[in-house]
Amino acid sequence: MTVPAPREGEQVAAMSLRGLVKRFDTKLAVSQVGLEVPAGSFFGLLGPNGAGKTTTLSMAVGLLRPDAGQAFLLGHDVWADPVAAKSRLGVLPDGVRLFDRLTGPELLAYHGLLRGMDAATVDQRARELLDVLELGTGNRTLVVDYSAGMRKKIGLACALLHAPRLLVLDEPFEAVDPVSAARIREILQRYVAGGGTVIFSSHVMEVVERLCSHVAIISDGVLRVHGTLAAVRGERSLEDVFVQVVGGRVSTGSELAWL
Amino acid sequence: MALTVVQRPPSSPWPFVKLKLRLIAGGLRGRPARTALFVLGAVLAGLFAITGYAFFAIPGVVDDARAAGVLFQLGGSALVVGWLLLPLLFFGVDESLDPARFALLPLPRRTLMLGLFTAALAGLPALSTLAATAGMVSTAAALGGGGAAVAQLVGILGGLLICVAVSRAVTSAFATGLRSRRSRDLAVVLFAVAAALLGPLQLALLAGAERADADAFTALAEVLGWTPLAAPYSLGLEVADGRLWAVPLKLLIMVATVVGLLWWWSATLERAMLGSVSSGSSRATGDVGSPTGLLLGRRLPRTRFGALVAREIRYWWRETRRRAALITLTVAGLFLPVSISLSGGSAGPVAAFVGVIAVISLANQFGYEGNAYAANIAAGVPGRVEIHSRAAAHAVLVVPLLVLIALVTGVVASRPEHIAGDLGLLIATYGVGLGLVLPVSVRAAFALPESTSPFAVSSSGGLAKGLLTLGVMLGTLVVTVPLQILAYVLGDVWLWIGLPVGVAFGCAGYLIGSGVAGDWLDRRMPEVLAAVTQGR
Repeated sequence: MTVPAPREGEQVAAMSLRGLVKRFDTKLAVSQVGLEVPAGSFFGLLGPNGAGKTTTLSMAVGLLRPDAGQAFLLGHDVWADPVAAKSRLGVLPDGVRLFDRLTGPELLAYHGLLRGMDAATVDQRARELLDVLELGTGNRTLVVDYSAGMRKKIGLACALLHAPRLLVLDEPFEAVDPVSAARIREILQRYVAGGGTVIFSSHVMEVVERLCSHVAIISDGVLRVHGTLAAVRGERSLEDVFVQVVGGRVSTGSELAWL
Repeated sequence: MALTVVQRPPSSPWPFVKLKLRLIAGGLRGRPARTALFVLGAVLAGLFAITGYAFFAIPGVVDDARAAGVLFQLGGSALVVGWLLLPLLFFGVDESLDPARFALLPLPRRTLMLGLFTAALAGLPALSTLAATAGMVSTAAALGGGGAAVAQLVGILGGLLICVAVSRAVTSAFATGLRSRRSRDLAVVLFAVAAALLGPLQLALLAGAERADADAFTALAEVLGWTPLAAPYSLGLEVADGRLWAVPLKLLIMVATVVGLLWWWSATLERAMLGSVSSGSSRATGDVGSPTGLLLGRRLPRTRFGALVAREIRYWWRETRRRAALITLTVAGLFLPVSISLSGGSAGPVAAFVGVIAVISLANQFGYEGNAYAANIAAGVPGRVEIHSRAAAHAVLVVPLLVLIALVTGVVASRPEHIAGDLGLLIATYGVGLGLVLPVSVRAAFALPESTSPFAVSSSGGLAKGLLTLGVMLGTLVVTVPLQILAYVLGDVWLWIGLPVGVAFGCAGYLIGSGVAGDWLDRRMPEVLAAVTQGR
């Protein structure tokens, strides 16, 4: 099956993955993943631990070279035309260390200048982000000494700083306290309402159910289901769909009867 | 159910002493190996006490006041320093009464401190120290009669208090301090400095010992006698000498030291009892500069290149492994050529060697910050910009050092006319080294364990790639040999053209190498990231 390249003037998919394959040694981590993420959607990538979510997203944003397949961001091939693809992309990679020997403000300034923004804009936006995310505009603590939740927040701030049109966030709500999580949800919802696209991975159903317009479920490196939340969920709860799709054990009620 | 009667807690220190003795006894019960160790410890303490007593009593027997002065003050200082250092080197020597275990008890701080302090005094080390210094009392009695003996007795008791207080305070401060990342980093760096200084220090000590004589020791002892280290131990001798005016002053030094140390201890004790470090640094939110100002300082351009260089410079200072490398380079870089010059050799080839050492720390430059490099890939930083910025940051720190090395070497060897030529060689080697090491850093990056120790290296693959580093060193030396020969052949002419020729040679080497490295990096960014990511 061949997918025609997006035409000029047409509404371009925010992210378009075609037949992505990644193999680590002998293990097939991601197998033939193809996915269209419409612009302006709030997209949740679901999957159990080790399903290939992070691998897929890493290949999609140009951090991991796929063995086969293509990835387009806003119509630009990530691997053929990286500069154009990356310039309007913000990433919060999971499990990736930030440049954590910088302080929060320094890290934001670094990311802003790296993106070619002018210093005045960087300063203004960095202050605002630090303030909104309650990280403290004058905080001299090195990021390495931040708590896990603060680290997520500064990582998110770095991804947002250059006002990208597409945000790819790996596990953005993990280890974040409820108050900050609510703040982040609100920011992301407003961002999507303003025309941005958010793609994030998670294994927390409630968050996905509450936020997303579209979902995809991936397990064992294979894309099992994708579509709008309503289409995927149908009449059932997302959790039931997820357990069924992923093939988890269904409780019979007889095991561990001694409990 | 009975109502709890709130009693005033007892303020006597004896329960602490009893508790400690019981803990010692309980720790020995039914454990022959430990009992044997304890007995061995007791025997050693006894031996120490006896030899110490004899050592300090001899001047009294032979009636030598001058020897007594030197012995008491140097020996006493050594004792205090020993009490200070030994618990740090063999950390956790006496944790039988861990302050953290008293955190839940309603004890006033005074009681707790008094108790812990008394308990610390009731141990073999304190007892054997007291017994050893008792030899001083007998000497003082022989030299100055009863009055001197009493003064010396007060002195050794005060000295013991200082010994115990200093060891308690310092271990407590370290125990709380070492829990935070910042201070562990600092400790690692201090360790690196100490390790790097070992060689030079040894030479300095040897040279010092050759020149020293009895008068120097007397003078040193005299000075130490007015410091907290030896002031208590010289009390009896001052009485014997008839310098009564010195006694109250030295008593004051002694009391002030004990009080000061106890105060410090009590301050750290509070934090030790809390058991975890309050993130004190997060409160440091004083005046706020703009974020870009904080990152770039005043000089660097507000551009992508400026940000990359600024981040890299920060990392050379804030990342322990890099800082340790810089410190080692500074010490070795100054020490090697200077010592060669002093012994009359030619500093040129050695200088070249320093240029090579300087670049070695870049061989795994992508490994230092691990997969944080992902940020630069996601932002689409081109390979050449990345490579140039890293080299520029390194040069900002290293080139002044190279200039300093050339200057110091020239001055020490008293041949200042060679400074420019040597600097030319240094810069040539450094540039060629960069040109060779930068491509290696792209091809042979490997993951470093996420550890604070500068000596931690991952086992797998690290060694093989370390060999590549060796290759870089050899390669640099080979490439710069023609220049060395040229310098040798040209003789005095080199003094004039050395600097420009060396700089040109170095720049050429750097430009070729960095170009190759940048192009490679453009093609291999994800592979470099994968290579420096742990556990893949």
